[in-house]
Amino acid sequence: MEALLDRLKTRFGVFDFEQKKTYQSFCSVDKLSLVSLVTYLKATEGFKVLVLISVVDWIEDGKFQITYLLNNPELKTDIGIRTFISRDNEEMESIHDLWEHAPTFQREIREMYGINFPGSPRVDESFLLEGWDDIPPMRREFDTKKYSEDTFFPRPGRKTNDPAEYMKQKLYPDEK
Amino acid sequence: MMIKDILSPFSAWKKVFDKPVVIKDPINDRPGADRYRGFHKNDIETCIGCGTCEDICENEAIDMIPVEGIETKDGDSGLRPSIDYGRCCWCALCVDICTTTSLTLSNAYNWVEEDPEAYRFTPGVDEKPWQNEEKGWKKPEGNYEFYSLNRVSMEHLHPEERSDSFVEMVKGYSKEQAEKEADRCVECGICTATCPAHMGIPEYIKAIRNDDLEEGLRILYDTNPLPEICGRICTHKCETVCSVGHRGDPISIRWLKRYIADQNPSEKYKQILESESLKKNGKKVAIIGSGPAGLSAAYYLALLGYECTIYEKLSQAGGMMRYGIPEYRLPYDQIDKDINYILSLGVKIVYDTTIGKDIMLEQLEKDNDAVFAGTGLHLGRSTRIDGSDHKDVYQSIEMLRKITQGEEVHVAEKIVVIGGGNVAMDITRSLARLQIQKYGKVQIITTSLETEDIMPADVEEVVESREEGATVMPGWAPQHIEIVDGKIKGLHVAQCLSLFDETGNFNPQCNLENTRFFEGDMVVESIGQGMDLSYLSEDIKEQLEMGPRGRIQVNDVFQTSLPWLFLGGDIIQGPDVIHGIANGHIAARGIDRLLSGE
Repeated sequence: MEALLDRLKTRFGVFDFEQKKTYQSFCSVDKLSLVSLVTYLKATEGFKVLVLISVVDWIEDGKFQITYLLNNPELKTDIGIRTFISRDNEEMESIHDLWEHAPTFQREIREMYGINFPGSPRVDESFLLEGWDDIPPMRREFDTKKYSEDTFFPRPGRKTNDPAEYMKQKLYPDEK
Repeated sequence: MMIKDILSPFSAWKKVFDKPVVIKDPINDRPGADRYRGFHKNDIETCIGCGTCEDICENEAIDMIPVEGIETKDGDSGLRPSIDYGRCCWCALCVDICTTTSLTLSNAYNWVEEDPEAYRFTPGVDEKPWQNEEKGWKKPEGNYEFYSLNRVSMEHLHPEERSDSFVEMVKGYSKEQAEKEADRCVECGICTATCPAHMGIPEYIKAIRNDDLEEGLRILYDTNPLPEICGRICTHKCETVCSVGHRGDPISIRWLKRYIADQNPSEKYKQILESESLKKNGKKVAIIGSGPAGLSAAYYLALLGYECTIYEKLSQAGGMMRYGIPEYRLPYDQIDKDINYILSLGVKIVYDTTIGKDIMLEQLEKDNDAVFAGTGLHLGRSTRIDGSDHKDVYQSIEMLRKITQGEEVHVAEKIVVIGGGNVAMDITRSLARLQIQKYGKVQIITTSLETEDIMPADVEEVVESREEGATVMPGWAPQHIEIVDGKIKGLHVAQCLSLFDETGNFNPQCNLENTRFFEGDMVVESIGQGMDLSYLSEDIKEQLEMGPRGRIQVNDVFQTSLPWLFLGGDIIQGPDVIHGIANGHIAARGIDRLLSGE
């Protein structure tokens, strides 16, 4: 892994390298170098399998983190490549031409976080959320509780009690 | 065709005796995975009904409902979570935040009923087939926490820095520390019922989180006009029921209260608490004693427009807070900060005036519309063992008072203290400081009937006494004081086996075979205090209805059978500061109800 890292550093300028387990490492790379890096890893370093693409919303920093997890079946090793994009310009270059199932991940991310992957097949079709008309629900500014309150009707017969208020009624009802 | 292609179908045969990974009858037999998040389970004996699960649920799937057979009591709301599976999304946030870990998910997920109402039930109360299922989702131990289990530690002066001085030893939280500690609160409000004054604890902790300390001060004064004092020496019963305390350290409620009071300068109190112009209603109330009960009654009555005059026997205000609690725990300037604000509202104090001697109670009744007495427990009790009438046997409460007044007290080289409460620790630690000043070393043995596990003193008091060089020996009953040639030699004790008999009466049993001798030149008794009711004339006493154990009977607003006379504080409930404050507050409302004719 050390030797691989050296090659990646020189060619693509990767940073924040972390070996989490013997078979799993992570590193970060600039948004513009991401596609050439994964292309290189697939073609030259044996990381032939795209395991998944995931996203974290770092709303406080104004960024989305996209992680591409690749696997090398020969070495039984994973590498996770992290890249950060601005929340104001939520667009990422597509890798649909590298793996057949990449468009499915990209379509899901488009729906859940609103990140666009121009050119990715069927990227604008709904994935899980048919008929969704709100902001993408995995973005942190999405208020899940408010959405539940507004969307789902209250079931008749439900009643709740605030613990502190209930204890007051039971234990010291006469005090103001 | 290669040889490998011919052989490969047969290689599958080597798996024939392996355990199959597929399920034989997937229509009927579909177990969830070991950590599958299925229907809820709740251990209702462990659950305290704090409602944190309901608060965190993003789908509003949880209601807190009363359950038959579960009593509402200190530390338990008596409510239990009921789940609406029309809304639950099995995210398990409720399990991960659960303060007692009573709530878990089983791995059962397939359950068919025709009645949709069946999908709303109370786990652990409504019988379900999966309620004893071991498999399912539990919060993983030591992996992640939604709130810190460890309290932000409070800085103290080191024992060597504090053992010879009366400087305040607890340093108080910084802004960063207080906000971090406040962040641990889950806002369940279970603590509020246990606090004798029912303070708005989650609300003022929230004010710290929002860095709105003026709002925090307003919340404190709603129920407690002595926050600097309580922020230091309150018995903090609230912390004993804190829901966060079930898995970790309870929230430092007391130190957070002190933080709010410390951060607000006294000059701004009137503006913050909007008390710059209070309307007078022309009615007068006399208050006997300037301890917590009297001050609290005076404060709330002054807010309602009453003209209050406090009569104090000693030359300074504060009662037991000033004369009973040593300065290293409660500095005098902090007592003054709380009291001066109350005085700034127009409350008057007449010092050095004993009711029943300088002014008669009957006179107070004549001159005022009502009287409140919070006279406290200021008489020391004696063990009455042989030798306890010797001149070098002292009462802790009198010694503490003299130390506050700056009078010289007798400090022997070797001292034995009898008592296991906070007052015993206070006198132990005060005398230890004086011994260091006088002899350069501490030689004090403090002994109590109670064993260590049931000593009434706060644990930190015992720990700190030991840090300061005192020897604390719990579980010994004093037998007699040995006197040779008119001088005390020490205290003989026997092992104490039990304190109460079967009927619950105080009746200590000793093992006289197992005895010890604690050497000392003086003995201090600190086994409790009694009340001095000499201000009540015989005539008044005759008219007062008495309650159990020699206490005067009062109603729910602390009114005696003489409608104009209200009593509160240690003589009625407690003894501690916070009960006094609560009693004074309720009595103020009772007096207002009486005088406004409501």
